[in-house]
Amino acid sequence: CQCHRIININIFLTKYCKHAVQCLLLDNVMESRLLGLVEHIKEHALFLFTHRRMAITGNDVTLQEIIPISYDFSSFVCPCTILGADTRVRLTFFNEKMECKLPFGSQTRLFLSEVNRAWCGKKAPKFDWLTKYQKNSKGLGSVPPIATSVGKITKTGNGQGTVKGEGRNELVRSSRHTVSNKAQMLTMPQFGLRDNLIKCELLKNEEAYTYIQNFNFFLGTYNVNGQTPRESLRPWLSATPQPPDFYCVGFQELDLSKEAFFFNDTPKEQEWMKAVSEGLHPDAKYALVKLVRLVGIMLLFYVKKEHAKHISEVEAEAVGTGIMGRMGNKGAVAVRFQFHNSDLCVVNSHLAAHIEEYERRNQDYKDICSRMLFRQQDPTLPPLTILKHSIVLWLGDLNYRISELDVDYVKDLILKKDFETLHNYDQLKRQMDEETVFVGFMEGEIDFQPTYKYDTGSDYWDTSEKCRVPAWCDRILWRGKNIVQQYYQSHMTLRTSDHKPVSSLLEIGIKVVNEEAYKKTFEDIVRSLDKLENECIPSVSVSQSEFHFKDVKFMQHRSETLKLHNDGQVPCQFEFIQKLDEPAYCKPWLTANPAKGFLAQASIDIDLEVFVNRSTAPELNSGQQQLEDILVLHLERGKDYFISITGSYLPSCFGSSIHTLCQMREPIQEMPLEMIHRLVTSKRSQALDIPKEIWMMVDHLYRNASKQEDLFQQPGLRSEFEVIRDCLDTGTLDSLPGSNHSVAESLLLFLDALPDPVVPFSVYQECLDCSSNIGQCKKIISLLPQCHKNVFNYLTAFLRELLKNSAYNRLDVNILATIFSALLVRPSTKQDQMEKRKTREFFQHFLIQDSH
Amino acid sequence: MAKQYDVLFRLLLLGDSGVGKTCLLCRFTDNEFHPSHISTIGVDFKMKTLEIDGIKVRTQIWDTAGQERYQTITKQYYRRAQGIFLVYDITSERSFQHIMKWASDIDEYAPDRVQKVLVGNKSDEQEKRQVATEQGNKLAKAYGMDFFETSACTNHNITESFTRLAELVLQANKKDLEALRVSINDKLSLADLEEEERVCGSHDDVQKACWC
Ligand SMILES: Nc1nc2c(ncn2[C@@H]2O[C@H](COP(=O)(O)OP(=O)(O)OP(=O)(O)O)[C@@H](O)[C@H]2O)c(=O)[nH]1
Ligand SMILES: [Mg+2]
Repeated sequence: CQCHRIININIFLTKYCKHAVQCLLLDNVMESRLLGLVEHIKEHALFLFTHRRMAITGNDVTLQEIIPISYDFSSFVCPCTILGADTRVRLTFFNEKMECKLPFGSQTRLFLSEVNRAWCGKKAPKFDWLTKYQKNSKGLGSVPPIATSVGKITKTGNGQGTVKGEGRNELVRSSRHTVSNKAQMLTMPQFGLRDNLIKCELLKNEEAYTYIQNFNFFLGTYNVNGQTPRESLRPWLSATPQPPDFYCVGFQELDLSKEAFFFNDTPKEQEWMKAVSEGLHPDAKYALVKLVRLVGIMLLFYVKKEHAKHISEVEAEAVGTGIMGRMGNKGAVAVRFQFHNSDLCVVNSHLAAHIEEYERRNQDYKDICSRMLFRQQDPTLPPLTILKHSIVLWLGDLNYRISELDVDYVKDLILKKDFETLHNYDQLKRQMDEETVFVGFMEGEIDFQPTYKYDTGSDYWDTSEKCRVPAWCDRILWRGKNIVQQYYQSHMTLRTSDHKPVSSLLEIGIKVVNEEAYKKTFEDIVRSLDKLENECIPSVSVSQSEFHFKDVKFMQHRSETLKLHNDGQVPCQFEFIQKLDEPAYCKPWLTANPAKGFLAQASIDIDLEVFVNRSTAPELNSGQQQLEDILVLHLERGKDYFISITGSYLPSCFGSSIHTLCQMREPIQEMPLEMIHRLVTSKRSQALDIPKEIWMMVDHLYRNASKQEDLFQQPGLRSEFEVIRDCLDTGTLDSLPGSNHSVAESLLLFLDALPDPVVPFSVYQECLDCSSNIGQCKKIISLLPQCHKNVFNYLTAFLRELLKNSAYNRLDVNILATIFSALLVRPSTKQDQMEKRKTREFFQHFLIQDSH
Repeated sequence: MAKQYDVLFRLLLLGDSGVGKTCLLCRFTDNEFHPSHISTIGVDFKMKTLEIDGIKVRTQIWDTAGQERYQTITKQYYRRAQGIFLVYDITSERSFQHIMKWASDIDEYAPDRVQKVLVGNKSDEQEKRQVATEQGNKLAKAYGMDFFETSACTNHNITESFTRLAELVLQANKKDLEALRVSINDKLSLADLEEEERVCGSHDDVQKACWC
């Protein structure tokens, strides 16, 4: 039943999976996943599969998660800063979040655009079809139970090679790279780019701090035809008087048994490793850095002990190209590492057999090159391929044969040692000449007879029925600069296999770091980056950092322009920001317009507006507040600028208290500021019964506007208000200027601006409570402070007079009660409808009492 | 190649107007000196990478306005500092006396663990000296601070004083850094930690530490 399901999924996928990409899931650890966009009856979902190292056929993938593309789904492509970098995509679905990295390129672009299209086309989807993939659906995003069962099946299914060879590199202490591991943990993500920049610069300037030093690399390849070691490998491995610095020893057909093929487990690994270890040059001590094996293909990598500490970033990988293009009976294993400042990759491959299959061999080579991916230390970097390495050493049973010649002619040429002629018929040489394979690789001159195929245990050519044509199957190639071949030979004395082993000694120029020069280069780079960074800090110039507003008056609009000019290298975002413990970025009498914005390359004008209204006037009049503020203009990721605003405020009767005004015989602006400030708190007996300003306005209206149509209902003119205000505050005119409506509105503004209304805040609640009781209402008024009571009585008397002329002025009790109750009987906070009704009711008592 | 072991510190320059804060910073980051005094009206900063004990320390150095009327505002920047330079001018007795006031402001507004270094600038102006080296030394001792006499003009003791403060900050935060080093999952840094306690409540964008 489980098998059935697997097949189902496979059929399902091939049928409905529109697009798939391989991606790296960025979790705690980076893991590779296959991400498929699946469509079924116009609904879409993303299927996330875990997969085996070399898997592509259905059995090798395991469904891990299904993410329906519905309303709860969103994908966000992180803006990519470097062209050619991988695309990071953040997927969210309900509460789940995952981030993955898709390889740069058209496939990713196509995939993302399809996902996007799927998302745009979503319409209240049901996703019924998904339920069979997710049995206990606690939520569509949960891991379906079949995932685990599928996993189990594939585990025991077939034994494709897994890479062995962990934990053998104890000896390799990576020099400064240990520091880098720690750094990685500490790295702030935002510094990633900076690190990359430094890396790039270091690479660019490598010549300044490295010099070339030669090291000897022994390379050996041996197809052992499934045999067990029976003879010493010394003749092959220790043919030179001087011990080499490195050994890269490759085997093929280590074990031909089914067990090895299916379970990738073989005792031969240990046996041959031992044989190699014993065969290494006796005059030096070596450490095994890495052993990597894929079925019968094994690579051993040894280093002379004293060099071990200069090796780092050792990674091993394997790629199968065998049956179905994936299995490990053919393919390659490889080790990559960093030695001093050079990066090297050693590949041991066993390519497809049979004389006529040379194109298959070419293909194997290409597959190995494209599929062999080494994880990088920095998980944000894309995996490395073989050919990305500056030095590649490639050895193995490449299986290329001699073509077009018959056996006897070949053997004759070999007898005559005419290897040059013979070499012209070598498929590898021909393919390389045609540049169809191993482009950029070099091979030394072949001065030894073909290494295949012998009767095992002898030096005789194959005597079996097949009677194969001898061939140079076993080869050693290299790619990179500063490499000189010391020798290239076969070893006829070894007779364990039907192949002869081949060896070569390469003298390789390695880039070694001069610590002092490195330090200097590094510091130079860091310094120039700091400089660059500092130059890129957003910056503006401000036209003025101090503004003074002289003689600001009540309700007067004043404005000055602050010019910002972007004098930095980058566009910037500015905003006036709040100061500590303050509710807004500026005082209530000030606004900046705009208070935030974006400044590309040019300039922008910001209006700084000052406007003193009823709520800010009282404290300015009384001297408790000054026109003083400092604005903090902040540039995002940049500096802050302080803009100081000062001003002088001309005190006004508007916004002054009844109490204060009753102590002033003179117009307010005739008095020294200190005197005004002192009056605010003085308990001195009052000089006037009511503020003369009220008297002036009311008397003016009484005499000129009793019969004015729509009095208090038609607005006045602002310009006239300003003259009236100045007249009241300076006393320059005996009678008020302006139209009746302007005077009427001034009166209303005056009442509105009183810091404590005519009916003081303190009795407001009482007024509400007894609004229906005339007697109580009157009692409240009778108990008011004298000046407030005077003003109240004076105003109500005036309003009652106006009502007598209602035929002309079209006023009635209702209108006046509504207008004046809102000004005279108001709370210090907000008022609701019910309260409004009650204050109106309260006030009405005083308008109608005498008309009865 | 070696990757950077990145730690970000914020250092702050405080002191009266005209003592040479801006010049000190300019000398340290750009190795330049301008004899004219353009008073800083705001808060400026520059980046500089230092290497201390093999650790790459990135410092973000904040230069504040020294003028008295801005002091209520500059105080709000103290909170984000891990190290503070208290700068006076050796040719100004007054600026030296004000160090006490600056120090008490630091006590009130800066984090407890903040590291401080006392700097007497303009050491090149020997003939105009009003504050003896000994006075500076004594005050520094009283506050338990390190003390440097510097000259932005002649580049005297500039790198030394900045490096010293960074060192002190590094030491003071070593424990946290070690803790960070072992916890692979928490990719935090001091700067990130810092980022969480912001100066201005809702205005989240104030001085991001991010420099990508
Ligand atoms: N001789 C001498 N002059 C200096 C030195 N450092 C600064 N100055 C001068 O002192 C003046 C003020 O320097 P700034 O760096 O602008 O002062 P500041 O502390 O930033 O002042 P504010 O920004 O107003 O707080 C400038 O004219 C500088 O040229 C120094 O080491 N030696
Ligand atoms: Mg300055």
